Amino acid sequence: MTLLKARASLTREKQLEALNAWQGSALSAVTEFSDGELVKRIRTFSQSTEDDTLYALRLLAGIRNSVTVIHAPRGCAAAGLFHQVTRGQGRWIVTNLDDRDTIMGADRKLRKAVQELYHRYKPEVIFILSSPVVAINNDDIQSVVEELHEELEVDIIPFYVTGFASHHAVTGYDIASHALLKYLGGKGGEPDERVNLLAVGEHPEDRNEAKRLLTALGLELNILPDGASPDTFRSAASARLSLALDQDSGNYLGVTLREVYGVAYLPASRPIGIKATGRWLTEVGRALGLTEAASRLHEEESERAGRALGDFTLEGVRVYLGLSSANAFALSSLIEELGGEVMGITVNRLDQLHKERLDELSLRHPALQIHVADGQPFEEANIVKRLSPDLYLGDSNHIAQIGRLGIPVLSLEESPFLGYNGVITLARRITAALRNRSFGEALAHTPLSYKDAWFRRTPNWHIKKEVR
Amino acid sequence: MAHHIEGSRNSCALHGALQVIEAIEGAVPVIHSTAGCGAQHFLGVNRLNAGSDSFGGPPVASSNISEKHVVFGGSSRLREQLKNTVKIVEGDLYFIVTGCSTEMVGDDIPAMNKEGRDQDFQVIYANTPGFRGDVHQGYQLAVKALIEQLPTLGKAVPPKVEGLVNILGIIPHQDPFWAGNLEELGRLLEGIGLKANLLFGYDQGVSAWQKLPDAALNVVLSVWGEAPALLLEERYNTPWLALEGLPVGSAAGAFLRQVTERLQLDAHRTELFIESEEKRLNRYLASLADTYYRAGFQREFALIGESAQVVGVSEFLTRTLGLLPRTLIITDNPPEESREALILRLTTLLEGAGTELFFSEDHGEITDLVRNSGAEVVLGSALEEGVAAELGAAFLQLSFPLSDRVVLNRSYAGYRGAATLLEELGSAILSHSYQSRRILQESY
Repeated sequence: MTLLKARASLTREKQLEALNAWQGSALSAVTEFSDGELVKRIRTFSQSTEDDTLYALRLLAGIRNSVTVIHAPRGCAAAGLFHQVTRGQGRWIVTNLDDRDTIMGADRKLRKAVQELYHRYKPEVIFILSSPVVAINNDDIQSVVEELHEELEVDIIPFYVTGFASHHAVTGYDIASHALLKYLGGKGGEPDERVNLLAVGEHPEDRNEAKRLLTALGLELNILPDGASPDTFRSAASARLSLALDQDSGNYLGVTLREVYGVAYLPASRPIGIKATGRWLTEVGRALGLTEAASRLHEEESERAGRALGDFTLEGVRVYLGLSSANAFALSSLIEELGGEVMGITVNRLDQLHKERLDELSLRHPALQIHVADGQPFEEANIVKRLSPDLYLGDSNHIAQIGRLGIPVLSLEESPFLGYNGVITLARRITAALRNRSFGEALAHTPLSYKDAWFRRTPNWHIKKEVR
Repeated sequence: MAHHIEGSRNSCALHGALQVIEAIEGAVPVIHSTAGCGAQHFLGVNRLNAGSDSFGGPPVASSNISEKHVVFGGSSRLREQLKNTVKIVEGDLYFIVTGCSTEMVGDDIPAMNKEGRDQDFQVIYANTPGFRGDVHQGYQLAVKALIEQLPTLGKAVPPKVEGLVNILGIIPHQDPFWAGNLEELGRLLEGIGLKANLLFGYDQGVSAWQKLPDAALNVVLSVWGEAPALLLEERYNTPWLALEGLPVGSAAGAFLRQVTERLQLDAHRTELFIESEEKRLNRYLASLADTYYRAGFQREFALIGESAQVVGVSEFLTRTLGLLPRTLIITDNPPEESREALILRLTTLLEGAGTELFFSEDHGEITDLVRNSGAEVVLGSALEEGVAAELGAAFLQLSFPLSDRVVLNRSYAGYRGAATLLEELGSAILSHSYQSRRILQESY
């Protein structure tokens, strides 16, 4: 249980030596990670980007029968409005801390907010999300949680995000996963045959695709945290295996379920593309003694997908990838599988989880340039402008900036791309992006607001070793 | 003491200031706060406005302070960030805005701003922590900083323009139709021989703000424009005219007459202009008549939005379009002293209608109020879509936040805005009638 004793998970920096500012070849990235202690780098110019509070909020918004109290000044809830309005997810209130609260503390306000919200909506579980102001003031959330848990007889879970302790927004997923398991996990019943499918912030169609394939293998699934209810977390502890759809975001849940509750964890590769999905099914089949069924399913599905793809090819197409790490590694293989060339990649993070993929990549392409940045479009624009690729694939929310360079751009932020169905969708969208470039050309009339002098600098100009 | 809010739509002061800066061409925000503040703004404000963002993404320069800055102070990080922003991002004006964390740490922003000035950076600042208020206060803080600090930058002053009118009180993005509304108001003022200083949007750069002192009149379109107007009166003796609401349809004519009188313009010219605008609007009304009667436009409505929008739209719907105001909900928390006038004005729109007016920004409370109103038409934000469906009412999204609309230069102000409103409300009512009928038919 020791792992869950702490009130929050460690930051990604401390858990996995995560880097957020780096540029170099695939080969030097491998050296960087095998040379012992990593040198931390910082930026002397930076652009706003997501933080742990935003990621935690995104994860929590997807959990059913819950309400979230955002314990913060009012603006920290803005993203809550986004999830509510565009995805119909999440009911939340903000404690609306004012000048006085930042000096005097606001435990009473928090207590009142939780009580009112509880009586109004009678949720199954109440989440309390901390914030930079609360973290700086060190407001006592814990005693409010304990008192009200007794009084209201409802699960109340605190999430100790800070907005500044980590440079990696994904730390917010870890903090959320940690607290959800700490407060809900292990209250389930007898061990059963179910498999935990760990899906964090996935497109609903992607989640369905994974579900479709795994159900076809005869598996009974417990999907979390996306779309889960509190019970799903309770029963997760008695499942026979956890399978992460994306190691980057699901790792903490998987490892914790293994370490604390003894649920086996399969950190499978990400099912992007026909081959990789086949490999994924094989890994799952092997872990559960379903090798034959898995290979039969792959045969059928790959044939169907192959027919749907027809003569689609990326022959002669030079592609740049600006993606979250797991997507970037998986898509770079897919692009090559389809005959295209990967010119370079920007990933939002590199850490110990990526070692194996880095090794593979550096064997194939030791000189391939890797850029590590979460939401720093000024650097990405500089790189992409130099390379002038034929296609840019990205999943960030700054993709419109890249579009203004006039190259064909495809956003995966709201588009499914997992499994066999995903590759069919992806091929269609790539075809569209390459066949008609008029919108990008029109956008190029509105150039980006960076100075020419910046484009003459090396893209990593503002990445420096931290002086301690 | 500020109360907790469910589903708040008024975000925070930092975000309000960012909305001001991003709507001025050539102005570059420099956020001094944690990394997420700018991203929150992008997701929770820009993206709920059809993504109408000038820069294309959330790339706002931001110091992204980390733990050590919280412990030891972040001034040096801001110094470095400002210096590099000036080197990297093209701009005529760099505008430092702060978030909660750096304000709590106590970083000395004026000192950092002064250091920037000493290096000839065109930089101004505003302290805008989210715990100090919502977007409306943020708007006021940013506009105040512009009024007070721009003249001290030593920029070349643009030539003076005669008959200039500043338009104040429209908050970019918080009014989703800000760009179109400003353009239409500009067109109307030009129609009576004036030159409007729109201050935000296409072709509105820092020089527009330098012209603020030259205006013959400040037109104030919401209660939020009053503080800037008072400041300008104090500094430059500029008279101001407050409207409390957007002029929609014939109210635009009344507005133009008021301006004409205040500035002693050619009344005949104004009347000719109004006449031609009225004629066109009347023509639209006439061509709508068949649909209006057939689809039964005369319904009770609930309207949820910012005070300026609620005043303008409800007056037009009641006084020209013959609808019945049932429940009006004002979401922008106007100051107490202005509420009495709003209550008087809006509950007496139509005798016998029993119009109720509420002030709330709490999603749960607003939902209950709309549910209890029994309205047949709901005009509000994306947050009211659910309760409108529950009521079986026709629904039009017109206030912040929007989810499924693209708004570029559409306007709900003036004469053109009135026509747009007719088109959109009419379409909403028609599609609602059609859907209801089809569902009934299919259930036979």
